Amino acid sequence: MSAAEVTFCKVRKAFGNAVAVRELDLAIGAGEFVSLLGPSGCGKTTSLRMLAGLEFPTSGTISIGGRVVNDVAPGKRDVAMVFQSYALYPHMTVGENIAYPLKKQGMARGEREAQVKRIAAMLKLEALLDRKPRQLSGGQQQRVALGRALVRSPKVFLLDEPLSNLDAKLRAHMRAELIELHRQLGRTFVYVTHDQLEAMTMSDRIAVMEGGELRQFAPPREVYDRPANLFVASFIGTPPMNIVHGEFNGRVFRHPAITVPFQVAGAPTRVALGVRPEDVLLGAGPFRATVRVVEPTGHETIVMLEAEGAALTARAPAESHLRPGEIVPFALRADRLHLFDATTELRLEARATEEISA
Amino acid sequence: MRRVLFNLMAWTIVLVTAFPLLWMVLTSIKPQFELFRMPPTFWPEQITFEHYARLLWETPFLTYMRNSLVLSFSTTVLVVAVATLGAHSLVRFRYPGRERLAQLVLFTYLLPSVVLILPLYLLMVWLGIANSLLSLVIAYTSFALPYALWLLRSFMQGIPDDLESAALVDGATRMEAFVDVILPQALPGIISTCLFTFILSWNEYLYALVLVNTDEARPLTTGVMSMLVSAFNIEWSLLMAASVMMSVPLIIIFAFLQKYLTRGFGAGGVKG
Repeated sequence: MSAAEVTFCKVRKAFGNAVAVRELDLAIGAGEFVSLLGPSGCGKTTSLRMLAGLEFPTSGTISIGGRVVNDVAPGKRDVAMVFQSYALYPHMTVGENIAYPLKKQGMARGEREAQVKRIAAMLKLEALLDRKPRQLSGGQQQRVALGRALVRSPKVFLLDEPLSNLDAKLRAHMRAELIELHRQLGRTFVYVTHDQLEAMTMSDRIAVMEGGELRQFAPPREVYDRPANLFVASFIGTPPMNIVHGEFNGRVFRHPAITVPFQVAGAPTRVALGVRPEDVLLGAGPFRATVRVVEPTGHETIVMLEAEGAALTARAPAESHLRPGEIVPFALRADRLHLFDATTELRLEARATEEISA
Repeated sequence: MRRVLFNLMAWTIVLVTAFPLLWMVLTSIKPQFELFRMPPTFWPEQITFEHYARLLWETPFLTYMRNSLVLSFSTTVLVVAVATLGAHSLVRFRYPGRERLAQLVLFTYLLPSVVLILPLYLLMVWLGIANSLLSLVIAYTSFALPYALWLLRSFMQGIPDDLESAALVDGATRMEAFVDVILPQALPGIISTCLFTFILSWNEYLYALVLVNTDEARPLTTGVMSMLVSAFNIEWSLLMAASVMMSVPLIIIFAFLQKYLTRGFGAGGVKG
């Protein structure tokens, strides 16, 4: 047994009149770690549950390892799933929980116990095998849920927001463990999350979803550096990307406070300029903005600005001494600007032609 | 001071409620001649178990007892089997008219049993099973099931969907997931339902009176009444002895399962 590729082909899922997923096309490579990322209600969990076999697609096909699994029962798909709630069986001990998938495969008791021991050693659960789930801490329950998924060595792991119930410190720790686990096992991981940090740090590729549609499917770096549309641009990154709506006359982007010359073929008149907070350079430059709020975070300071009706967020060094009400000059990093069609919201392949001028 | 007053009140209520039961036990062990003495004796001057002996060896009491046990156990098994599966369906599966169905089930509760009893009798005759224990099992199921469904439904609504999903992904079939995961989680609800159904069947009188009129199929309630209570005479000693023995199975069951029962009614109250 090894990793398997996963393919969604024109998959659509509707609950009555409500469409949860529309026309999802997604090809996940064997052994890849892919995150489905998006706000709640974007269809990511529904997609995962369809992959697990817990929901049936309204139309379209889902295949695992080249085999169409639309009509295959969840237990026969050779996938394992970790649930957000962990879904540990409350009346079974930790050992029985981990052994359950093996029992359903018809594995003999002796071999089952050996496998459970192996997994328990791997996840440091040996001392807890006879406890009931309710006697465990959240982190321990999480490891049991992982253990129950790992014990069968399935081809594909499905993880539905597995870290969202842990505290911040434990979450950072488990992120690292999951990356390590994926590297060791080399299996396909499909990971659902609304936390972009998890998606960015762990994934080979991120599938950003919104309103039941796939908005972009690319490696984390590319999703961050070249967002395919306004949604991805504003969803990825904290603080989010600044979006400034303005006009484009074929050569220059114009907003009352900001003007940027661009080289772009066939751009529309109504466009939106995207600037990451770290690309807003405070202190000198051709533009002027009023400081509204200053938020020191410790290692940096987040500054909220207002320039002729446009709200801007900038990252400034921790030691900057800006005060609300102050007027600061600023510049934009020309090589890091994004331009979007304001009507279709799609990215325009544009390059700012020179260092920013007023 | 308030505590004392409160306790006093509580004990008064307990005494008032328990007195008839106590009187029943005392009467059942008094010899016949002491029963109608004026003024009545409270504690029997002489204790006798002759009424119990007579009841057990000289009357069809044991047949009635057997009928009642068979009847109550069969009804309980049937109702619980159908209600657990039905409640699971009402909670887990999506199909058109699911909520309406659940409400309709409760609607049957609104009809007084007197209205249902004649059609039910005719139905039993038509099916050829009138005058049998089976006809009573079916009749009792028809009024125990709606409540059992609702009680179990509220219990099962409290079981997270993810548990069953996890079992399915772990390789269980639907039925296995139900048996391995749902049933153990619903156990308190199932026990409450068992108790409820058992007590209902054990104490039922009206249907038994109308649907069955042979001694072979009579349960305790109607059997004891027709045997000991006639227009001319009431056999008080035997009646009380019979009442004591009728209560014993329920008291035993209650003693063991009481905590589940109260928990069950609690769950029904919050969610149902």
